[in-house]
Amino acid sequence: MTDSNYDEILQLLRDRLSSIASSEIVITPETNIISELSIDSIKLLNLIMEIEDTFDISIPINALADVQTVHDLASLISRIKSNH
Amino acid sequence: MSSTITKLNAPLTQAFDFQPSSELKTTPTPTRNTLAQRLAGFDTLTNALEYAAQGITGYNFYNAKGHLQSVLPYKLLRNNARSFARRLAGFNLARGSRIAIIADTSPEFIELFFACRYAGLVPFAMPVPVNLGSHGIYVQQLKGMLESSQASLAIANLDYINFLEEASNKTTNLQWVGTPAQLWELPEKEVTLRPNTTDEVAYLQFTSGSTRMPRGVVITEHALMCNLEGIVRNGLEIKPEDRSASWLPFYHDMGLVGLVLAPMVTQISVDYLATRDFAIRPLQWLRLISRNRCTVAFSQPFGLKLCTMRVRESDLRDLDLSCWRAAGIGAEMIRPETLRNFAEKFSSAGFSDSAFLPCYGLAESTLAVTFSKIGNGFHSIQVDSKTLIDKRMATKLRAEGRKYNEFVNCGRPLPGHTVKIVDETGQQLGENMVGSVLVHGASVMTGYYNNPEETKKALMPNNWLDTGDIGFLYDGDLYITGRRTDVIIVNGRNIRAQDIEELAEQQPEIRSREASAFGINDTDGTTTIVLVIECRLTSTAERHSLIKRLQQLVYMAFGVNCIVELVPPHTLPRTSSGKLSRFAARQGYIQRTNLDEQLLSVAESGDR
Repeated sequence: MTDSNYDEILQLLRDRLSSIASSEIVITPETNIISELSIDSIKLLNLIMEIEDTFDISIPINALADVQTVHDLASLISRIKSNH
Repeated sequence: MSSTITKLNAPLTQAFDFQPSSELKTTPTPTRNTLAQRLAGFDTLTNALEYAAQGITGYNFYNAKGHLQSVLPYKLLRNNARSFARRLAGFNLARGSRIAIIADTSPEFIELFFACRYAGLVPFAMPVPVNLGSHGIYVQQLKGMLESSQASLAIANLDYINFLEEASNKTTNLQWVGTPAQLWELPEKEVTLRPNTTDEVAYLQFTSGSTRMPRGVVITEHALMCNLEGIVRNGLEIKPEDRSASWLPFYHDMGLVGLVLAPMVTQISVDYLATRDFAIRPLQWLRLISRNRCTVAFSQPFGLKLCTMRVRESDLRDLDLSCWRAAGIGAEMIRPETLRNFAEKFSSAGFSDSAFLPCYGLAESTLAVTFSKIGNGFHSIQVDSKTLIDKRMATKLRAEGRKYNEFVNCGRPLPGHTVKIVDETGQQLGENMVGSVLVHGASVMTGYYNNPEETKKALMPNNWLDTGDIGFLYDGDLYITGRRTDVIIVNGRNIRAQDIEELAEQQPEIRSREASAFGINDTDGTTTIVLVIECRLTSTAERHSLIKRLQQLVYMAFGVNCIVELVPPHTLPRTSSGKLSRFAARQGYIQRTNLDEQLLSVAESGDR
């Protein structure tokens, strides 16, 4: 996994999350997606679809169980992408 | 070794690689069978499979891109299940021992489920983790089920085995934990597989996400066979040209009984899409129906809503849903608008609203209780809101301009089953009167496994099952108006209020009986969970942190957002016995927040 890969993913996530989050909040890698962003399940499904389409990957359902922060999600995507 | 297992254990990223379908070696099982169709009427599950295995139909599994991933004809299922059964026999377990299987949408799950029956063991399906950040709570839920069932073996695919191993730590009674591939490596024991009897337990079905008090519904072979017969003969009128498509999870009653077992006892083929893949791209389910000319496909209302919301207009051109004759809808209260919106959107793709088939059921009655008439579409009744509130009575709307509530007709009970409506004292009510829905018949569960307390609450004298739902009978047809306040349904998921309160009470700041959870409904039918907590914390920072923590816990456990309200001690209304009343707590919340939702609250009342 290269840093530029991770940074690119992180930037995209921050942009997407801030547009769908219901609260006005500055999104950092440490932002907790569950407790700080209040994203409903439909928006989350849309986000996963966008991520999968953008990066041409599939995010396994078991991996999401360990995602809490924006950083967790970015590094998961980055990991899947580099194994691809 | 079954070819399916090696394939599915491959890393997921490879499984989703794009492959043009022309290059795929496998073709799905056909719709037309070589075997004369028998519509259920078998005495046990394995006997039904022995018959289905003589034909060429079976189960097909598709990936997120809609490509065929693996094929499991009934014939292969029968052979693999029997081989697995001989390996299970090597553990020398007592007949009726429970076997836990994490039920992702995979051929192995079905093979293992039947293997257990061939070996005289009782399988039960455990869920896959679906919520963001749910790792810790998911493991606790698994542990709860393993302990409550006193399972002897626990099996999961590679993707989930680490969760299962964590959950198995220090679990009593458990002798072995592994993957299907590991089980396959064990030697086959030379045994004659004894036939099952009709009074033996066929499987357990867990219905609650509670970590402390999970409820495993006990279903016998007889109850299962009886329910399946009603579903396929009376509910669906299955014919030789039928074919099913399903995204419903195998760990839910509708997915397992309705879309795995019912097709098998009628020897028809099924096309599966994993639940996750449907949730992200609902179009794939409709494409499967269209491409394979499927005729029977069920969904919760929420699934139809997802299709309506997320399928693009431009995708409709390539769909031909005219083959879909039975669009079964159940598992949660059905709102007419959900069906109308779906029909409006997909009519240009050939969907006929006469295919709508509302039904009512619950795991405690195996699956189905009532079906509306097949081929007639959905019918609803508009009842006067004021009479409904004041007299708890459903009267047809007579004058224009009056406020009304509209309820969907869920049809009549399957043969051999009776539905009655009772008041709070258990007294039977007449037609049109709103009350608790009770069910009687051979499909009703034996009880909750190892849980006499919950069993006593659900099974009334003479084996009448209290469903926990509220409704009325009108011209002999059942209409469901709501759930009692102990179950909250959000986005198609049944969440027990008690399970949310239990989570809250595990926090050091919260004592037991100081949390109350309930659902409030928006005018558009969306439900939001509210958690009211009696709280002694005074510091704003501490209060804020508690709210955030509770919201996060509820999300991780149930995948839904919730509103947390902190109130001073002694605010929550209690009954004379000191029990919290969720109904009263909800009324209090509505008053405090000035919500106008008298109409929606009317039909749901009474704590269990």
